Amino acid sequence: MGQKTDQDPGKTGKSYGFRAGLCAFLLLLLWLIASDTYQKLPGFDKKVLRVGVFSDSYWEVQNGYSYQILEDAIAGFEKRHPGIRVEYVSGIIREDYSEWLSEQMMRGTAPDIFFVTGEHFPDFAEAGVLQDLAPFMEEDRDFSPERYYASAYAYGNYEGVQYALPYECAPKLMFVNKSILQQEGIAMPGNQWTWEDFYRICREVTKDTDGNGTVDQFGAVGYTWEDAFDSNGVTLFDKKGIECCLTDERAKAGISFIGRMEALNGGYSVSSKEFALGNVAFQPMLFSEYRAYKSYPLSIKKYSGFEWDCLRMPAGPEGENISRLDTLTLAMSSSTKQSRMAWELMKFLTGDEQIQSEIFTYSEGVPVLREVVESEENQGFLTGALDSENAPGLFLLSDAVEQAVVVPRFHNYDRAVEEADRAVRSILESSSNRNRETIIQNRKVNRYLKEMQ
Amino acid sequence: MNREGFPGLVLNTMKNLNMVMILYLTMVTAHSLYGYVDENSAMDFLMQVKRMPMEPWKLPVLSIGLYVCLLLLLSIRCQSKRGFLGKTVLELGVVFAISSVLNFSYTGMALLIIADTMSYFSDLKQRVLLVASICVVYLLLDYDLLSAVRPILSLETCWGYYGRETRSLLLGIRNILNSLNTIAFISYAIVLILAEVREKERILGLNERLNTVNQDLRAANEKLEEYARESEKAAETRERNRLAREIHDTLGHSLTGIITGIDACVMLVDVAPEATKEQLKAIAGVARQGIKDVRRSVKALRPDALESLNLKSALVQMMEETKRSTGVEITWQIEPALKGFNKDEEDIIYRIVQESITNAIRHGRADKVEVGIHRDYNMLKIHIEDNGVGCSKVQKGFGLHHMEERLDMLKGSLSYHGDHGFVIDARIPIRWGTEEEND
Repeated sequence: MGQKTDQDPGKTGKSYGFRAGLCAFLLLLLWLIASDTYQKLPGFDKKVLRVGVFSDSYWEVQNGYSYQILEDAIAGFEKRHPGIRVEYVSGIIREDYSEWLSEQMMRGTAPDIFFVTGEHFPDFAEAGVLQDLAPFMEEDRDFSPERYYASAYAYGNYEGVQYALPYECAPKLMFVNKSILQQEGIAMPGNQWTWEDFYRICREVTKDTDGNGTVDQFGAVGYTWEDAFDSNGVTLFDKKGIECCLTDERAKAGISFIGRMEALNGGYSVSSKEFALGNVAFQPMLFSEYRAYKSYPLSIKKYSGFEWDCLRMPAGPEGENISRLDTLTLAMSSSTKQSRMAWELMKFLTGDEQIQSEIFTYSEGVPVLREVVESEENQGFLTGALDSENAPGLFLLSDAVEQAVVVPRFHNYDRAVEEADRAVRSILESSSNRNRETIIQNRKVNRYLKEMQ
Repeated sequence: MNREGFPGLVLNTMKNLNMVMILYLTMVTAHSLYGYVDENSAMDFLMQVKRMPMEPWKLPVLSIGLYVCLLLLLSIRCQSKRGFLGKTVLELGVVFAISSVLNFSYTGMALLIIADTMSYFSDLKQRVLLVASICVVYLLLDYDLLSAVRPILSLETCWGYYGRETRSLLLGIRNILNSLNTIAFISYAIVLILAEVREKERILGLNERLNTVNQDLRAANEKLEEYARESEKAAETRERNRLAREIHDTLGHSLTGIITGIDACVMLVDVAPEATKEQLKAIAGVARQGIKDVRRSVKALRPDALESLNLKSALVQMMEETKRSTGVEITWQIEPALKGFNKDEEDIIYRIVQESITNAIRHGRADKVEVGIHRDYNMLKIHIEDNGVGCSKVQKGFGLHHMEERLDMLKGSLSYHGDHGFVIDARIPIRWGTEEEND
């Protein structure tokens, strides 16, 4: 058919030209909206940086200084960059924080930079809401990742991409009740101790002290198969989170070590309350927990009945004296319109020595800069503010952080660990052929991982 | 819009349906996304979809904006093939953009492009090719196919905010709208094809009628030509008959009388010379009468021009016409008024000029002829010169011979030579000259 309009061709051409122009204009406008470029236009550009932060400490301790470090950092940053204002929303508790952050993102009002908890970091990274920091790091000559502890820095890495910078961290250390050891005439083990040392001491201290027929002094509480795996060079899941390695010989050794440890207690499930009461020789704890207990009047009372010290975790036959590190990281929103300033603020919060050393004062974690942790000033702080006699040496702390294990994390990592825990329980409980049970359970976990994908 | 009739109506329905569909999908999606935020399950949602959805308010804004762009593009009619191809590619791009805003939960806008394209080409092959390639793009815009390549938020997940039953209902409405769009598209195609078939039939019918009329016309034309030929022949025959009759009536009659009279004289001459003289006088009378009759006949055959115009005007007209018809450059210089000649003389002057020009063009192949007529005392001089090929040895044809004879009759003379072109000089004594002077 191919109808043609009967209009005058000149007029038609003109009106088509108008339509094409209108169309082009509309497309430009829509592009501005879709790409958020409109926010860079004069009327929208506000020069305000927003920070996403939660009110309580990452280490689940109320210390009354929730925004102190951030406030100081903001003051310092605004002084350095006049014309820029930094804002944050206060009052969001840690429990609601990730949900609040998600809601802000979905509404399109995500903060320019925000703290990311360890548990949700892989989820946010996978959702593509975090900005890849590589371009900023490459361009910025002042920035050197070597200043951070390698383990803490690696915490902000997901599948090879650096999405976040570490802000504060806490390694797991072994809390030792020195009083029990002294009482039993056992020498304090060194930082290079092994599973066998650990087992030997535990076996020796597990006894019925008051002679009432039940065991009331125990070797260890809270030492899990995960701790055993970390210190025996086992990586539970592969990077993609699709394969579990319970059948690995080192993992088997770890499981059987846990089995031996549990057998010592004769089936009694020891709680951490027993440690507080002074009835347990060892409890692994995050450094932050140790500090929280230490600085609380309540906690001082709690541990007043015994003397204690810190050690690195015992090494397995195939591993080293290392443990997990928990890290609070700082990430940039992928939708930020002021990435340059956001990067500067991130760098300031994580890399400024003054700000980082405030972590010792106002938080319970460990700064992520080696130079800050190992500075003499802080050496004095640790020995002064903490119980001088029992404070862990700064170099012990520094080494524990530096050498900490960074496990590959992925979406639903916690659920995968729960499933692995169930599997390890089953293996430990299986009376007959533990080897076969391991193979069966490993297969089960693998199937679960596949379903979760 | 710019298409009339039923197909245009169906197309408009399709456009409206698509608008409703896009609005429906984006509004429900936006509502459910805000719903997730309001009921504090944004984190769960994000972790489930592992992808950041677009800010909810942008969904309807962007998709409707893009749809308006698509409608604008569709309303532009491109005449050139290249412009059309560019336009189609742009339209497909816009459809892709809308689909991606809708997370590929709906791609029926592509059918609009196909429908628009279908009405474009009259060439079936081109149309099929283009529509087929758009169809391929349409097929590739499938959610499941694309989600294999890159993660896409599925509509079902987005609408997971609603309960199972509500979601089923909402999805059902989407399916109904989708089906309606498909039905509208199919109707459009059918209506278009039907209209085209009808159009073709109509054109075929018209063609047939045109052929018939054409044939009739050709037959009539042939008949007309035949008539013309016949009537020409008839005129010739009539003329010949008239001449024959004329000769028979005039010359025949006189000659018969003269012959009979002379026969009688032969017998009488010895017997009665006086009577013979008388008789001869009578014969002379008959002969004179005969001449008179012949002249009358010839007069009837005179050139038309001379009949209606005076000699000079007739000559000028003749030369003008020749000039016009042959393209030969004829220049003339006619001095005297050329009045006072009798009809015989006028005829002869006219014929000499005419014959000379004809000869110059026909035999001499000249493209320039000069004609000069002057009066020299009692002599009229006609000089005709051309730039033709001429001839070294003039062979007197009928034309020259005839001229000489005619001039002899008027006691004139003729001279010619063909060294450079051909030159003719005729001299005619003017008998009225004295009379004129006397007047």
